Amino acid sequence: MELFVQLLANTLQIGAVYVLFALGLTLIFGVMKIVNFAHGGFFTAAALIVTSVVPFATVELGAPLWAGYLLAAIVAIVVVLCLGALVYGIGFQHVLKDLNGSFILSIGLLLILNGAYLAIYGGAPRTVPQVLPGTVSIFGAALTAQRLALVIVAAVVTGGLYLLIERTRLGLALRAVAMDQEAAMLQGMPFKRVALYGFLIGAALAACAGVLMAPINAVTPVSGDEFLIKAFIIIIIGGLGSVPGAIIGGLFIALIESVGGYFFDPSTATLATFILVIAFLLVRPQGILGNVE
Amino acid sequence: MHMANWTRPLGAAAVMLLFAQAGAAQETLKLGISAPFSGAGATWGLGMEWAAEQAAERVNEEGGVTANGKTYMFDIVSYDNKYSATEGARSAQTMLNRDGIDFIVGTVGTAPLRAMQALTERKGVIVFNVAWGKSVKGPEFPYTFTQMNTPFEILVPFYTFIKEQHPDLETAVLISPNDATGQELEPMAIETWKNLGVEMLASDWYERGTTEFQPIATKIASLDPDLVDFSAAPPTDVGSILKELDVLGWEGVKVISAGSSVEALMAVAGEAAEGAYLGASADFSGESATEVQKELNAGAREALGEPLNGLTISPYDAIMALRAAIEEADSVDPTKVKDVLPSVRFESSYGPSGFGGEATYDYPQQMLLPVIVTRVENGETVELTRSNPAELEALIND
Repeated sequence: MELFVQLLANTLQIGAVYVLFALGLTLIFGVMKIVNFAHGGFFTAAALIVTSVVPFATVELGAPLWAGYLLAAIVAIVVVLCLGALVYGIGFQHVLKDLNGSFILSIGLLLILNGAYLAIYGGAPRTVPQVLPGTVSIFGAALTAQRLALVIVAAVVTGGLYLLIERTRLGLALRAVAMDQEAAMLQGMPFKRVALYGFLIGAALAACAGVLMAPINAVTPVSGDEFLIKAFIIIIIGGLGSVPGAIIGGLFIALIESVGGYFFDPSTATLATFILVIAFLLVRPQGILGNVE
Repeated sequence: MHMANWTRPLGAAAVMLLFAQAGAAQETLKLGISAPFSGAGATWGLGMEWAAEQAAERVNEEGGVTANGKTYMFDIVSYDNKYSATEGARSAQTMLNRDGIDFIVGTVGTAPLRAMQALTERKGVIVFNVAWGKSVKGPEFPYTFTQMNTPFEILVPFYTFIKEQHPDLETAVLISPNDATGQELEPMAIETWKNLGVEMLASDWYERGTTEFQPIATKIASLDPDLVDFSAAPPTDVGSILKELDVLGWEGVKVISAGSSVEALMAVAGEAAEGAYLGASADFSGESATEVQKELNAGAREALGEPLNGLTISPYDAIMALRAAIEEADSVDPTKVKDVLPSVRFESSYGPSGFGGEATYDYPQQMLLPVIVTRVENGETVELTRSNPAELEALIND
């Protein structure tokens, strides 16, 4: 029993970040109908900024660790939002609903961002001290307080996004544009502005994931790339453009990694996710909750 | 002919000859490094590049290397191989075809080296490397030379020492990165532990680039082995697993055969790394270190923020071997240099050295160096023991 609780706890820990990361990617696809390969760049930017601001705030400013981390989180999210607005204005607004154009643009942007991060931060892994040290036991499953906080914050952010999409005018506009852009525009909705908001929300979600991961894993200029591959698998399985699909897909992939990694090994679990995505593309290409167009 | 008519061309010819002589007297020999400068193994690349630059600087300050009447100055050029075969091949293409490099003084990873060898062996370019695979050596790879100890030199003395320290060890779990290095190391690790009476409960694989290690930590903790051997995993990955194992309450012997950078390990694992045995590290500030190593180590601490280890110091030794071989061959022709390398004697950072390993690899292309066992104690690297291979002992006494 204890083992299964531990595997479940592992699933939630791993899945929390996957869900946040994939939500941003699927939201951008849903609203703008583009594939953003540079999404991992937002995640990495936020995580790297945390590794810079935390030591500065704690050592140079003498702030306590929690305050330094909070400051770093705010700075990281603001910088990523500015970066998101910049790349949207320069590039993505010109390739809305253009899969080929967005593919080329985002791949190029990813290379530029990775190169810039490497030049600024170097390639060596960077770490941040755990803000919440210690270990907690839940029904016999052990996890760090930091990981538990990550799961809780990710759940709150996901819940907040769900409310935003379901209960606000902006959410209504995002859903309307995602369903039928032309009909939404005929109703007076400013498509480009809605697309910008969708893009920025997606970037902010990636930034949140990066901020949450920084104290847990070592951060490198290519940290986001590993999550990007997983996020694509997740949104293909969950359904491109589907927010609930990204949540289900994220937790499903985390479950495979957790259980597969335990009963077999991590390499086999990784292989299983790739086989699964091939199977979905063959049998149900729209994913679990995606719509057939 | 009027005097002025031929004095001008003569003067011009004299000036050209002067320049030509100056050029001939001092030329630059580019030495390549193909190592990871990004990702989990980045600390290796950065350290190797720094050690290579120090060696080149030393050789240049001592007047360079002379061959066939010409003096050559060394210049280091680095390339990021991202610890992948694709990037290894790409960096080889750039080095050989674009930059005209004939000597590579450091490359990391069996897969990147294999990819490079397709080009370097065909084109006759010498590659010094720290790859741990056996498949990259042999008479069919005469241009390939290994500049640090590999599992075939390390594992038996390393594991034997650990077993002597913990005679009650009975069970183990092996975790290996799923690449050429891990695949070649795994059977030898299992065999060596078996010979020491340690049963392998599980041998699992993970992909380089993995970010979440809780599942594998959960499995290890539930098997509860006496020791975990992290095989060829880089320090950052080992640190992540150790941190998760600490959360799950596993307490046992931690063995990191490719363990090199204690700083990278500590940065990720913190106190969870305490007590870990490392097979590829060294305390270059300790009593056993040579003056050269102490000086290099202090410089690296200042420049990079962390000390050197068995892997990162290796380009220094490769460059010293290369200098000796060029002078012995009296040529910078890689073919002539590779012919003398197996028999050349030189002063490595550890002391007198040469190449051997013919009994293991069928070709003397393994640099002879002491095997050093270290452990993490209070966050620092502490040397526990060192031993010289028989061939090195014979060379020193010769």
